[in-house]
Amino acid sequence: MTSGIITHIQRFSVHDGPGIRTTVFLKGCQMHCPWCHNPETRSPRPELQVFASRCIDCAACADRCARGGHEFAAGQHVFHRERCVGCGRCAEVCFAQSLVRVGETRTAEEVLKEVLMDRPFYQPAGGVTLSGGEPLAQPDFTRAILELCRREGVHTAIESNLAWPWLIVAPLVDLVDLFMVDIKIMDEWEHQDLTGVSNRQTLRNLCQLDAMGKPLVVRTPVIAGVNDRPEQIAAIADWLAELSNVRQYDLLPYHPLGTGKYEALGLTGPADYRAPSAEHLTRLAALATRPNLVVKVAGASGACATDGGAVAGAPISDQNTSS
Amino acid sequence: MASLVQDGIDYETRLRHLRAKKEAQTQAKLRLAGSMNEDDYGQVLPPEGFPWQPPANHPNGSFYGLDGWSKAFCSLMQCHPVYVDPMDALAGRYMFLLNRIRKCNWPPEFDYAELKPEQEKYGIISGIGNDAHFAPDFRIGLELGWGGLLEKVRRCRSQHGPDKAAFFQAEEDVIVAIQGWIARTAAAIEEAEASQTDPVLRENLREMAEVNRWLIDGAPRTFREACQWIAWFNMASRTYNRDGAGGQLDELLRPYYERDRAEGRIDDEEAIFILACLLLNDTQYYQLGGPDAQGRDQTSPISFLILEAAHRLKATCNLTIRVHDGLDRRLLRKGVQYLLEDRKAWPRFSGDKALVEGFMRNGYSAELARQRIAVGCNWMALPGLEYTMNDTVKINVAKVFTVAFEEMMREDATPGIEPLWRRFEEHLRRAVLCTARGIDFQLDHQHLNEPELILNLLSHGPIERGLNVTNGGVDLYNMCVDGAGLATVADSFAALARRVEEQQQLTWSEIAEHLRNNYQGPGGERVRLMMRTAPRYGAGDSLGDHWALQISRLLTRLVTERPTPGGRRMIPGWFSWADTLRLGKQVGATPDGRRAAEPISHGANPQPGFRADGAATAMVRAIAAIQPGYGNTAPVQLELDPGVANCDDAVDMVASLITTHFDLGGTLFNINIVDAEKVLAAHKDPSQFPDLVVRVTGFTAYFATLSPEFRQLVVDRMVRA
Repeated sequence: MTSGIITHIQRFSVHDGPGIRTTVFLKGCQMHCPWCHNPETRSPRPELQVFASRCIDCAACADRCARGGHEFAAGQHVFHRERCVGCGRCAEVCFAQSLVRVGETRTAEEVLKEVLMDRPFYQPAGGVTLSGGEPLAQPDFTRAILELCRREGVHTAIESNLAWPWLIVAPLVDLVDLFMVDIKIMDEWEHQDLTGVSNRQTLRNLCQLDAMGKPLVVRTPVIAGVNDRPEQIAAIADWLAELSNVRQYDLLPYHPLGTGKYEALGLTGPADYRAPSAEHLTRLAALATRPNLVVKVAGASGACATDGGAVAGAPISDQNTSS
Repeated sequence: MASLVQDGIDYETRLRHLRAKKEAQTQAKLRLAGSMNEDDYGQVLPPEGFPWQPPANHPNGSFYGLDGWSKAFCSLMQCHPVYVDPMDALAGRYMFLLNRIRKCNWPPEFDYAELKPEQEKYGIISGIGNDAHFAPDFRIGLELGWGGLLEKVRRCRSQHGPDKAAFFQAEEDVIVAIQGWIARTAAAIEEAEASQTDPVLRENLREMAEVNRWLIDGAPRTFREACQWIAWFNMASRTYNRDGAGGQLDELLRPYYERDRAEGRIDDEEAIFILACLLLNDTQYYQLGGPDAQGRDQTSPISFLILEAAHRLKATCNLTIRVHDGLDRRLLRKGVQYLLEDRKAWPRFSGDKALVEGFMRNGYSAELARQRIAVGCNWMALPGLEYTMNDTVKINVAKVFTVAFEEMMREDATPGIEPLWRRFEEHLRRAVLCTARGIDFQLDHQHLNEPELILNLLSHGPIERGLNVTNGGVDLYNMCVDGAGLATVADSFAALARRVEEQQQLTWSEIAEHLRNNYQGPGGERVRLMMRTAPRYGAGDSLGDHWALQISRLLTRLVTERPTPGGRRMIPGWFSWADTLRLGKQVGATPDGRRAAEPISHGANPQPGFRADGAATAMVRAIAAIQPGYGNTAPVQLELDPGVANCDDAVDMVASLITTHFDLGGTLFNINIVDAEKVLAAHKDPSQFPDLVVRVTGFTAYFATLSPEFRQLVVDRMVRA
């Protein structure tokens, strides 16, 4: 059985493709976008998130950790991240959920079992979306899940940066009904500079998929001062207009909801990013529109990307817009 | 009949005026009452200093029985202020709820002291002394009119002996009193017409007067007359005892609409305006669509017009769309569209398949089951054929659980899940029996306490037999028994099974000690969180789901395995109304991590935080799985983020959620589209959000009218899941 590492599975996901979907967030990404709001999906290894405000100072974690990762000095919890191996034994006894291990190993069959729990709701358009992180960073696991879903007749979508050799992408083509791909910025060097990875492979793969007639949704997370200049968006739109199978081009405003996660992971950042104004986004959308290119802001008429899709009060959707 | 279309004042202007007036009336009620933890209804305040007081016929200052009720009602009708608004299509508003004016709602001589210890022990809401909560058949009234009803009463009286004279006299008196109220209103309309200078409004008043003059005696002939007749019945019935059951409104009005349209008396714009006035007049529960007795869909153009009227009205509303295989999908989509667009928590949706199949398990035919419709918070009822006590009888299973737990800890040398379950089963059995005896007591005495003099008129049997509906007047007695606190108990069992028995994180004695201490003291909070984070009902294939199913099956078996000692059938459901607060105060700390006196769980819903992703699909599946399955409801109460409404395919997604729930066995689906920030802001300063409407439970209400405690309940459910 093929297994891989995920952060979590989100049922009733309504912003990660058409219809009601189940989104599987795979852990690990080769890019390091500084605005990423899912920093817990970057590392391919399990990690410990520490939400200090939830701690009730019970000190159960200190007793549990053999490596001395947790100490209580003067009633204050001190976490030594450098000693942590992400085993999660401390999190098991932290009922206050101040310590949360992120990253669990699942087999493709286990993932499928959860995916199928919502199968009755997938009509008429829903299904499964593999997201992350970067699903293609775990190609065998991704393929195994997609094959199982295909066998069950579940609609499949994948959210990917597609910055992988075609060799990695090709085996998945027939297993994916909808590719949802980010183009963060058109200029190769800016892209390389910001994300650590060139966008050339992404663009080549998009051309290849387009030539094969695969339905595509292309998205740009729009960050004020980074990629929201009209000429930057126009460059992407011009390029997309040359393709034949782009169903939709989405402008997704940056949102700062991942800020707390950085702190919980002991990471710095993100920098002081902000979203463009709604008016500016509307202007960009109008500017990007081409005769053969449907452009939407936040995937719809409203601010979907900043709204949760589940029961009110549930955690905000972890829509993958920055991988 | 002349058209209401006008050049100067259009329907939109008139609706705006009426909506603003209603909001002002609601604010006035709020100033007087402080808060209103219930449906808005359509009640308005009487003029300040209105002197009427009900005549008493009992030494305790209250009034009871045929004589007491008919005299009190007739006395009020003789002087009830008339209400005419030239902008409105319909006349009248009601201003009193007689059953709330009464000093004491149960005659002290009918003593049920022997039931009280167990009622208290198990947190039973017995329903004794509760009125209405079943459905009238409006077709009877629409066919006969008040004059025809009076003739029917007199004819039936002549067929019975003098022993029934008091019953028939009381029925006659209330009809004549209602006719008097309408006649006085008609005169006031004519007076208003005479002084009205605006030609459009004068024409409206002329027509309104004509309609009401006719309706004093006559059966409605036109669409406007039918709507006005329904409004009069609602107002009279509300005045009498707050009855809030509606009916299959589209099908009731369809013949009038079709005739008026065919004869050119009305157009759709006028029909929509009149319907909006009817919905404004009262927040009665109406069903739309769904099958007729033979299974044919009842959706018609008028179904859409009713939705449109509610959409334009933008006030509190209680419309339910009955979803079945043959439903016109356009009606479902239109309903979902307005739910998402208006965010006023209507319509609701009921699931025909499970309701029909479930009711048939009681031995009834499919034809009958299809006619059993949604007419109240959680009510299902056969209009005019059945007495139900819907939503008035509840067992607090969380209280039953604590009784079982404490007894086990006192008496069992080796506590455990198995002995706890055995004791829970035994105490629930006793609670059901006590409940059943309470139902019998109510049915044996209620006619002497509070005869249903208004609802009898639109029932099949009471007038013909000279018997009150509670006392043999109708053929069918299917008594509603709802459990409350399902998730609290399921999560408690799950937490004990996981943390105490399986993981041995603490002993039975330790958890018992923590419960006694209300999770206070050393380690208490950690234990509370430990119990709270055990796998919950709603998580999907979890320990909590397993226990919820067990508990629901148990309640279902105990309620259905035998009738009451008096031979009445009982039908189980899960519904707590907004009693989660009151019932919670009866219950000490529970092993699910709930502290003493905190609210118990809501209806059939999982508890907030049931899954990390809060997935609506998981909730909907869980609730579909625990349905008792005998034709009563265990509703979904879902709070959806407005982000869903903003998606391109939002209508399809929400429709899929609803229809899939019903495919899986669900019965009733309530949805709020809530903006968490707005609700929080409104909680802080309700006066800034006078038009914010929420579905509290089965009913909708203006958020600003709720007490702080009730608002908190809604906030917790919506925002702090």
